[in-house]
Amino acid sequence: MFLALKEIKHEKLRYSLVIGMIVLIAYLILMLLGLMQGLGNENTAAVESWGTKQVMLDKNANVSMNQSLIKKDEAQDLTKHEALVGQVPIVMKGINHGQKQSMQYFGLDDSQYLLKNKIQLVSGRKPRNDHELILDESLKEKGYRLGQQVKLNSLTTKFKVVGFAKNAKFNIAPLAIGSLNTWQALKGTGPQFVASGIWADQKVSNSRQNKLAHYDVKKFIKKLPGYTAQNTTFEFMIGFLLMISLIVIAIFLYILTMQKEAQYAVLRAQGIPAGFIVWSIIAQSVILMVSGVIVATLLAVGTSLAMPSTVPFMIIWPQTMLLDLALLIVGIVGSLLPVRMILKIDPVDALQ
Amino acid sequence: MEEATIKLVNVNKHYGHGRGLVYALQDINFSAHPGELTLILGPSGSGKSTFLTIAGGLRQPSSGRVMLAGKDISKLNNKERDQLRLNRVGFVLQSYNLLPYLNVDEQFELVRKVKPNGNLTDDELTELLEELGIADLRSQYPDQLSGGQNQRVAIARALYTNPDIVLADEPTAALDSARVVVVGKELQRLADQRHKTVIVVTHDLRLKEHADRIYHINDGKLSREK
Repeated sequence: MFLALKEIKHEKLRYSLVIGMIVLIAYLILMLLGLMQGLGNENTAAVESWGTKQVMLDKNANVSMNQSLIKKDEAQDLTKHEALVGQVPIVMKGINHGQKQSMQYFGLDDSQYLLKNKIQLVSGRKPRNDHELILDESLKEKGYRLGQQVKLNSLTTKFKVVGFAKNAKFNIAPLAIGSLNTWQALKGTGPQFVASGIWADQKVSNSRQNKLAHYDVKKFIKKLPGYTAQNTTFEFMIGFLLMISLIVIAIFLYILTMQKEAQYAVLRAQGIPAGFIVWSIIAQSVILMVSGVIVATLLAVGTSLAMPSTVPFMIIWPQTMLLDLALLIVGIVGSLLPVRMILKIDPVDALQ
Repeated sequence: MEEATIKLVNVNKHYGHGRGLVYALQDINFSAHPGELTLILGPSGSGKSTFLTIAGGLRQPSSGRVMLAGKDISKLNNKERDQLRLNRVGFVLQSYNLLPYLNVDEQFELVRKVKPNGNLTDDELTELLEELGIADLRSQYPDQLSGGQNQRVAIARALYTNPDIVLADEPTAALDSARVVVVGKELQRLADQRHKTVIVVTHDLRLKEHADRIYHINDGKLSREK
């Protein structure tokens, strides 16, 4: 640690550049992670923030809410932990301005737990009739206000915005939350269909709602259209970037060590153990990586604060810290390449 | 005469095989004693550096025996040889052996990190630095010092571990005549006053006047002049 700190302190420009490079790589990886988490959140915010544990759908719907329709006789009497959800993609248009907005509509029953207990209002109130809606709070930035009249798809009915809720997103779209009657109208189904599915905030035994397929929430989320493909793409990108970081850091440290080979030979000739020098290199790598990763994390946090909320970017600390740790490990592994060189240094070189 | 601190008995060193075989040292018998400054003179390629690396325990001979501070180095493993060099041998190298990113004080601190005990005390170090005329340079970095000052810091650093043996490789290379005299006197004083075994390999004849014993090395063969 002694040699590592002294050298970094003395060679400020050189090591600032190295830290700068680590900051850029780590920042890029953290931004990708933030986007992955942000997009993931837009897929699942409603499912997760409402504490959903299980989803029950039509057996032929292939785990797709969009394809699922459940009939009256398929939904047994619901417990207080179960709620009907009618889902349909829609286009919303404000009456006073022409901006069209692609969204997901959720029809809920105001006597069931989701609308009663789980919707997190940030302003306004809950709907009291079929012509009132709650919108996701991100739509405020697009000019939607409480009391505003909107139209949904080609329905002639006007709907009034009575509340804004947070975490009201599903499958990368903001939610409009209203009644199940409106859902039927939007979906164009007859009264024989009561909803798309049933959500529950606790496990439901297979003997209940036995005409429906039961899905664990994790499986349901994985099957959301595009969700797994999107996450896998990001995971690959982050994985490759980590590998590239490993190579770049190892090369940098190797070159820096190569430049100091003569100095290390002198130290070895004087009897300074190779282990002491090796630890200095590893300590130096840790110091550089920790500094770079801290700066990159602060930059990513700063960026997330400066970004408009329309950008799907989110910092989830446990995953972010895990990635920071992975970068640190990558740095340590990268420092093992020059270590081999140190162990091979012949002290005789000091006299050549 | 005191017992020799470095003793080479029938030492040979060769490199390569077959037609490429080169004899760097041939049948060397040599001993050096405390309180003596021994000069090994020879041109480039004569085997001077090979001699120093073998005498300093950095390299093993092809045949023969090397006793360093009473220990047969062929019987020591790498770690033990490191310890022996750290504790008993001080190297003064042509390249001054100073780390560019440590100031003078930190050069000694580095040694303390590796060898916390048995070094010169703070008072003894201050006295040594004053003797060498570099006591007021303790916060300076090597690139802020002249060649002569760097060489004296390197000598102080070599002596900081309080070694019995000081091995110097071309310590006056790139120094002007006035500085050669200063360094020569310092090396002589190490032997006379500090009772060290000092061996200097060089091609600089200006150091001859400071030596107690002088050897010449040519084509790997050692011969005594004085």
